[in-house]
Amino acid sequence: MPLLTPEILAYVGVSTQAEFACDPVEQGAVRRYAQAIMDDDPDYGPQTPASSPWGGPIAPPLFANHAVRRPLGAPDIVQERAGDPHFDGTGAPAGGLPPIGPLKGFAVLNGGAEFELFRYARHGERIQVTQRYAEITEKASSKGPMILVVVEAEFRTDQDELLLRARRTVIRRPA
Amino acid sequence: MRSQHTPRFEDVDVGFEPPPLVKGPLTTVHLMRWSAAMENWHRIHYDRSFAQEHDHLPDLLINGSFKQQFVLQFLKDWAGPQGWPWKSSFQFRAMNKVGETLTVWGRVTDKRALGRYGLVELDTGVVNEHGMESTPGRAVVALPYRDGPPLPYPFVPEA
Repeated sequence: MPLLTPEILAYVGVSTQAEFACDPVEQGAVRRYAQAIMDDDPDYGPQTPASSPWGGPIAPPLFANHAVRRPLGAPDIVQERAGDPHFDGTGAPAGGLPPIGPLKGFAVLNGGAEFELFRYARHGERIQVTQRYAEITEKASSKGPMILVVVEAEFRTDQDELLLRARRTVIRRPA
Repeated sequence: MRSQHTPRFEDVDVGFEPPPLVKGPLTTVHLMRWSAAMENWHRIHYDRSFAQEHDHLPDLLINGSFKQQFVLQFLKDWAGPQGWPWKSSFQFRAMNKVGETLTVWGRVTDKRALGRYGLVELDTGVVNEHGMESTPGRAVVALPYRDGPPLPYPFVPEA
């Protein structure tokens, strides 16, 4: 029995308005991110001068891809689903694309990505993102059928300068 | 660490392999630190019983989002301050489990000379200590000519 239904396919083309990260690119967040990925590039530090090739302190290349976080006062899915043993910890951190309802309870795996980088985000800038469900397909695998969800995203600064384009593939399969 | 030297387009030949980037062994602490840095609480990266009993995975998994940081760092470090890691794509074909040591590699497969700069195409990948490839991909790095102008920044692709 196929997993892919017209109800799921109806999400193709669904997109978001521009959504701003709740925090600007912040020195401490950049430090924690850089230390987590073990990339101590000095260009990430606050001492980087404005005369550097990047115009000042920057964040790692894919920082924008993870910049949209849950703002204060937004629904807390971790608390809301604290009693649900099937809750896997995932969920939109902020507004974002609507979850694909019929796939609730399906396992989530990262299938891959394509990135096109135009410039680094600098400390103090605010990042905005627009996202779109670009493709949803079904594929057979050794573990049974699975759904591939392709999300396209474009990240810009608050001055509308293009930072990064991303095309991510998310694998959903029955848990 | 980002190289202080940017290779020039003319000096890079097909078949060249930039210095590999090694990360690990990657422990649960590394995975938790990355999850916290990006505020992503997917339990398969730090909750072993959930990963194994609920999602039927062999163990805690190294995040795909973690591996992609390493690939971009590899490209950025090789490109140096005057090159640009323009494109990178990859598939997460195999799982990497907690405890593994990952090595990012690349090999130049093609070169294209454009007007103001050149593009170098690479195959890329991520192998563990047993040589298992998990993240095959491709990348495009822009490099300046030996006596050419600096790359445009922000980067502007030439038609």
